[in-house]
Amino acid sequence: MIDNFIAGSVALFGDPFTIGIFVFGVIGGMLFGAIPGVSMLTLAAILLPFTANLEPAQGVMLFAVIYCTGTYGGAITAILFNIPGAPENAPTAFDGYPMTRKGQSGKAVGAAVLCSAIGGVTSAIVMMAATEPLANWAISNIGPPEIFALVFFGLAVASSVGGRTLWKGWMSVLLGLLIATIGQDPVGGINRYNFGFSDLAAGIAFVPAILGFFAVSEIFVQAEKKAIGMYEAPKLSLDFPTILELWTHKIAVVRSILVGFFCGILPGIGATLAAFMGYGEAVRWSKNKESFGKGNLEGVISSETANNAATGAAMIPLLALGLPGGALTAMMVAVFQMHDLEPGPLVFYNSPDLIWIVFAAMFYANLSILFIGLLETKTILYLLKIPFQFLAPMILLLASIGSYIGRGLVLDVMVMFISGIMGFLLRRSGYSIPGIVLGIILGKIGEQNFAQGMQMVHYDLLEYLSRPICLLLIVAGSLTLLAGIYKALSFSFKS
Amino acid sequence: MTKLKTRHIVETLVWLLTVVVFFVYSFEFNQEIEIYKFGATGWPRVILGILLLVTLGNFLHLYKKGSEAQHGRVGISDQEEGISYDSIGSVQKLVAILILPFIFSWSLKPVGFYAATPIFIALLILLLGEKRIKWILANTLFIYFLIILLFMVLLNAPLPQGNVSPFYDFSALMLTLNTKLHQSLNF
Repeated sequence: MIDNFIAGSVALFGDPFTIGIFVFGVIGGMLFGAIPGVSMLTLAAILLPFTANLEPAQGVMLFAVIYCTGTYGGAITAILFNIPGAPENAPTAFDGYPMTRKGQSGKAVGAAVLCSAIGGVTSAIVMMAATEPLANWAISNIGPPEIFALVFFGLAVASSVGGRTLWKGWMSVLLGLLIATIGQDPVGGINRYNFGFSDLAAGIAFVPAILGFFAVSEIFVQAEKKAIGMYEAPKLSLDFPTILELWTHKIAVVRSILVGFFCGILPGIGATLAAFMGYGEAVRWSKNKESFGKGNLEGVISSETANNAATGAAMIPLLALGLPGGALTAMMVAVFQMHDLEPGPLVFYNSPDLIWIVFAAMFYANLSILFIGLLETKTILYLLKIPFQFLAPMILLLASIGSYIGRGLVLDVMVMFISGIMGFLLRRSGYSIPGIVLGIILGKIGEQNFAQGMQMVHYDLLEYLSRPICLLLIVAGSLTLLAGIYKALSFSFKS
Repeated sequence: MTKLKTRHIVETLVWLLTVVVFFVYSFEFNQEIEIYKFGATGWPRVILGILLLVTLGNFLHLYKKGSEAQHGRVGISDQEEGISYDSIGSVQKLVAILILPFIFSWSLKPVGFYAATPIFIALLILLLGEKRIKWILANTLFIYFLIILLFMVLLNAPLPQGNVSPFYDFSALMLTLNTKLHQSLNF
């Protein structure tokens, strides 16, 4: 492994053009992740056609680097503006934004930088050492029933955070699942809920929906405060956390790495569920549960460690099985195909150089988060000084472009603004925006895997439960759900 | 004693209406799939069934506790509390802020991004409370220049050009200038 890693590093840093692409990916991913309104997906969608002119290794490496640094960059907007750069940064906002309001933005961002780097580097090392054995394990142990069970467990965890009550948490998740049913059904390709719009046959693209629910709704919330004279500018702080402060959360870091890596391995699940589960587990194991959501540093640490730990793991199903774990890894498949390559087991034998350049690049990209991230963060924090009336149009325009770029449809920009208005109204009534977004992302994956799983077990639910991992996840999800219902009902009837 | 308010009843009715509309509309695509027993409607109808039950649970909570947050919840939105409108003007302003982006998105097809954007920026800055005309103009130009520089000049991103004259002609002019700039810089 070490020889291959050194060979990959030499190939990466031996060619000035490849170094240029690496640096562009690192800075581009961080910037697009950290500018409110656009995300790493916007940059990736714009760059996709240009990768045809690059060497295959350079193209895939560029996207892998953007994936690592963009996942970290999205934490900055989540912490500073309550606008997660990507869905995997949503739980970071739960505690990161309250910290900004308390004047501790530097502390939250500093923790995000360090924990993203730790999670990402660890994940990259494990990825290099274990891609092949883990892929073999996943092939024999993880099938559609397990993926559906994990989706169920993830949704149960997501419903327990974010909403004002358990009911509102679940209503948010179910709304997301309902939105995900718009478009063709994943088994028979039958059009559902297109309401007469032919463009809706392809479904609601999740980038506009995410931008609408996160970025646009936040702009509307702040605009409302501005309209009624209640707007308070967030406080700028460059006070980074001390090593001692971070050391006290070491168990949370280790736990989140494990959670993140496990979620990342599973195709289609990716970093979003990792972040939610990392956060959920932090709350579950904490002695001070009440402090979460009010500015607890451990909330930021857990979420950011878990989502970056998933980045390396997400490459395992992509490279070993040819299955993308999310939107960005799906674009990587497109890069492979542009160069007449197919990701999958054969790529290890046919193109080992490519694999090890990508692995080395991901390792260095995660490491660079620590150095470039800290430098960039100090600059980005000054975004807080821009008056809201000038920042808001910029964010809305960037979000409009980000929505439009993916499919070139004006309808997507409209979907984004409709999602923004819905998000604004739902937030006012205590619903969970991250819950809705997770429902949208996991809806299709859940349905597809449920259908495939049911066909596999010939519609016998008991056979579903005879699979150990599946049983474990369904029991864990059901217990989370039942405990939540018990708490919600006892709260309602308590005088 | 119930803590139910009119807005809670409206909220519940909206959810119930959503369930009914989606359920009724599901008959539009109620087709069998040969290889899948539950068909195209199975999954959405299960979601709707659970949503109905959860809506009833939510109504029970609203009836007993009103808008009170359940203890131990994390990441709760705090928007409902403390928001009050002291004048019709504030409400009108908020409605305008909510509608303006939607009008902008609708205008992208006929007017195009290049022509619609400066008007959108200026109006939004004005609605967000900036009264100084010089500041509005300066910031509109600055934001417009920045967006054009990043997405048109540097990234060559395809943006809506509009299909109505003279807006389409304006977009064409912008793209021609961009091509000439690229040629002159050998970009």
